Formats: sequence, structure tokens, C-alpha cells
Amino acid sequence: MSLSPQTDGLADLFALRGAVPIAMDIVQPAEPYLDTAGEALRRRIYLTRGEAGENLCLRPDFTIPVCLHHIAKDEPLPRRYSYRGLVFRQPRSPDGPRELEQAGIEDLGDPGLAEADARALADALAACETLGVSTGDLDVVLGDQGLFEAVLSAVGLPVGWQKRLVRTFGEDRQLDQVLDALSDPSAIPLGDVTPELLDLARAGEEGALIRAIRERMEEAGLPPHSGRSPQEVAQRLIEKVRAADGKLNAASIDLLRRFLSIHCPLSEAGAKVRQLAGEAALDLGRALGFFEARILALKAAGVDPALIAYRAAFGRPIDYYTGMVFEMRPVGGGEPVAGGGRYDRLLTLLGAREVVPAVGFSLWMERLADRRAAVTGGESA
Amino acid sequence: MTITLAIPSKGRLKDKAIETLAEAGIRVEPAADARSYRTTVSGFDGLDVLLLSASEIARQLRDGAIDFGVTGEDLIRESIPEPETAVAIVARLGFGHADVIVAVPEAWVDVETMDDLGDVAGAFRAKHGRRLRIATKYWRLTQSHFTRNHGIQSYRIVESLGATEGAPAAGSADVIVDITSTGATLKANHLKVLSDAPILRSEACLVRSKTRRRCEEDGDLADRFETRFAERTKA
Repeated sequence: MSLSPQTDGLADLFALRGAVPIAMDIVQPAEPYLDTAGEALRRRIYLTRGEAGENLCLRPDFTIPVCLHHIAKDEPLPRRYSYRGLVFRQPRSPDGPRELEQAGIEDLGDPGLAEADARALADALAACETLGVSTGDLDVVLGDQGLFEAVLSAVGLPVGWQKRLVRTFGEDRQLDQVLDALSDPSAIPLGDVTPELLDLARAGEEGALIRAIRERMEEAGLPPHSGRSPQEVAQRLIEKVRAADGKLNAASIDLLRRFLSIHCPLSEAGAKVRQLAGEAALDLGRALGFFEARILALKAAGVDPALIAYRAAFGRPIDYYTGMVFEMRPVGGGEPVAGGGRYDRLLTLLGAREVVPAVGFSLWMERLADRRAAVTGGESA
Repeated sequence: MTITLAIPSKGRLKDKAIETLAEAGIRVEPAADARSYRTTVSGFDGLDVLLLSASEIARQLRDGAIDFGVTGEDLIRESIPEPETAVAIVARLGFGHADVIVAVPEAWVDVETMDDLGDVAGAFRAKHGRRLRIATKYWRLTQSHFTRNHGIQSYRIVESLGATEGAPAAGSADVIVDITSTGATLKANHLKVLSDAPILRSEACLVRSKTRRRCEEDGDLADRFETRFAERTKA
């Protein structure tokens, strides 16, 4: 039983939720994808070249084209766009599907962040329901990079370490490696830095360090106005030497690990995080308040937070995601049928003149159809 | 009833490949016309030896256009998406040694490891309005090293077809991924190799195509050729 755009009711639901339907070209410029999501995407998308040498690709998702459209048209904000159509990805196994139908909503420019987050998740659940997959049949997991960043900052890690941890957020193995490295700062390799430069860095003599580095750059013939500046290198060396010489409290690492191991119903998450913060006298600032405001907003949107799992270590290691991310899988496992998150950094990366808060979700239509078929098949048997 | 072996068409790799075949009792003589890519083979009936560029050999192994090839492991891993399913390395030949490495300007005194480079790459956009650029002809190896092994997402690859080590001074890239045997060229260009393990320690290999369609007889012939090679290795 396949789903048809005319009869499955999704268009009506999207309209009811105030989203304007939008159609996008199948052939898209590839640069925005490679530039924002990263080179790793090269393996997954269908790339081609125009006659003038420009990189083009078959649309691998809708979020970036929708955002580019929005920037080009300069439409008033806030605005919700809905889309539905094929996306094209190279399968991981040779017999996997190359074309997949996606539908979803991108919610741009709503300043009420907690409510917009909650609405994205509630709409994704409602869409699954419309397509015949009920909330009870889904494992929903939610993570929040904003809360993780607040914990890092409250623990008082050096900024460089904070960034390194944020960069690996969502990749458990790599995050764990960084934490291991943190527990032994003496293992920070300083390499072949000459003793003179090290002394300057230890003494915080930024000016002298900058001069020494500039000399090296000139000697190597590096172009002076492109790439890293002597000042940037000097400042990072100073920070690195401090981190290598400093002792990070073992209790702080332990605290980070305890935070990252939190995995509980979202309804209990606020209390759990608050308790951890209380024990360690951490000030999580507005991040925890916002986290709890979002839970209230979810309830107001008719979503029971007890049915959503909060996993503190759940994230997406793509640097335009900034806050909440979520994913829905059929109970008992399988590939995600829906996913979404907040990407406040994407529109400026794509050329918007000011920061545009943005959150969205997408549905994997074939997987939802499969799930519905499995469930209804099971009932009739 | 023939099987095809391709060996590099010029330079040291060609000479060493011919020497190695001689050790297995197979004599390869380039055609009288030095511009021809055909050869005369004696010492193994049914073996054709072609002269091709090393990167072409990797592609033809992938496509099953030849049975065997002598080429660098770097080119195998770069040209073939799933090397384990498409080809088998029969023997490592002990020549053509080179490492595929990540090198950064010597003046980057704060960068010693991939972790450092990941920090730099992560902050690059905010500071310079563009991604960190990596010049290389090995985009597949680079991508899997940066992304899969080190979780670094934010960088752009600038394809470089020659003189990669000159890219940072030319301003076309910030760092490079390239092959090096002695490191002399890097040093001359004021570049340093990161202290982590290299992306790949490569050498010339005898490689068998698994995607080649062969009749049973040619399959036997290919097995016999491998055996001959294995005996050479023991000798």
C-alpha cells in the first residue's frame, strides 16, 4: 500500500500548521552543500559539472534549497515552508535506494525559540500519525547542544577544549577520545616548537611571538593576507601551552562524563540535569531554563514528554546545528523515519545578512510507508 | 587463453616491476618501438604485459579491464571506493615506498596533530569567511582520514593535479595532503608533516582484479601466475 500525495492528508496537515508549500529544482548548485555540510557529503551525493566547470548535484535534501530560496526572495519573517519530493543519495550498499521521497517543514525566523522547537517536534509526530504511524510506535530521542555547551562553559574548560568537544558532539567515540586526552594534559603534543617560542608562549609575550611567527611566514613566502595570521597562530599557541601546563580537575572530567551519560524520559530530564548542576555548583545560566521552557512548550503543543527520550550525548556533528536535534525510529529499531533540529547558523553561512533562527524536520516517506504496512499487516494477521 | 598484467609505463616503477618479474622467471621486453605500450613476454605462456600509467592501472583493475596490475597502494585506495571487494593485493613488492601525509606550514607552530588541525578548521570560517582549504589529488583518502578517523567536517578540498606542495605559498590552499618519500620537497617548501600516523604507508603492489570476468582456463592461468609470484617471494 503506497502513499499518495493526493490522498494521504499530509498536504492538508502542513497547510493547517501554517506552512507554505514550495517546489524546488532537482538540480542544485553543489557548493552550498559542500560548504555547509562538509566534504564528507561528496561520497553521498550525485555530483556533476556544468559546462563552465561549476559543481552541480541532484538535490540531496530540501533544507538548503529552501533556505537559499528564502534568502534570494527576501520574504518577510517569520515564515514556514513545506516541501515534498525526491532526494537523491548514493546508497551505502550497492542495492540500497538512490531516490527517496522526503517531506517536511522549515520554520524560519520565529523568535520564540522554545515554542518553535516544540512545534517542529509536534508537527513531525502529527505527520507520522497522519501517515499511519502513531507516536506509541516510535522511539523518539532528543538532544540539545546548547545545554552541552552550557555545561562545558560552567565547568570552566579552556575555550579551545570547549570547541573541540562541541565539534565532536554527537560522535560518541570521538567525544570519548577528547575526554581521555583532557584527563591527561601532559599528553598534549607541543612537538618541535623551539624552546624560545615556548618560553614566549609561557610568558604570554604575544607581541614577540607574533613577530617570530611572521618572520617564519615571510620566509616561507606565505601570502600575508590570506589564511591564518601570525596573531592567530600566536594566540592559539599561548592557549595550548596553558592547557598543556594546566591541571584539569579530575572531578570536572567525571562531571562531564556523568552529564553525557544522562539518558532518561524528557519529563525527568530537567530534574536530573538540575540535580547534577546542584551537586557540582554549576551555573548553567539560561540554557537549563530554556531546556525546561521547551518541555513546557511541548506539553502545550500536546506532546507528552514522558514519551520522548532525552540523551545528553545525542547531537549532530555538523556545525550549523546549534540546539535541539531529534530523531524518530520505529520501536524495535530500524532506520530513522523522521529527524529534525535547530540550525540557527545555516542561513548566515548561506549568505543571509542577519542571523535567522531556524528549525525544521523531514520525513522519510518510504520508511514510514514500510512501517505502516508492517503494523497494519501485523494487525490483520 | 591469455591473462593481462599492466605495469607502469615509465621511470623507476617500470624498471623495478620488470626486475621483479624477472625474479619470477618472466622476461618482459618493451616493443622495439619505444613509443609502443605493448611488450614481448617470455617465461610464462598466455601472459600479456601492457604498459600503462600507474593511476590508469588502478582504474582498470577496478573496472575489471585487466587481470593483474603493478601499482601503488595509494592509487588503489584512492581510485576504488571499496578496494576489498574489487581487488586483492597479491604481494607487496618492496619498492615505490611513499607515505600519504598531512602537511601544514612550518610557521603554524601551534599545529602538531590532527586534533590541532581540527581546532583550526573548526574556527576557520568565523575568522576568515571561508573553510580551511586542503590541496590534494587524494580526495577520497583525505576525506576518510579527516572525517571518519578524526571527526573533522569543516574543510574544503581543492583538487591539485601537480606541485601540490606549492599550494600554500601560492595561496590556493592552507594545508596539503600529498605523497612523500624523503620529505625533502616538503622541507624546501617550509611545510611540516603532522606527528600523527600517516594516512597511508604505501608501496608498489601486485594486485589482482576481482571484478574481471574470466573463463575457467584463464582463472587457472591467473592462479598459476600468482603461485609463480609467491614462489619468487619465498626465494
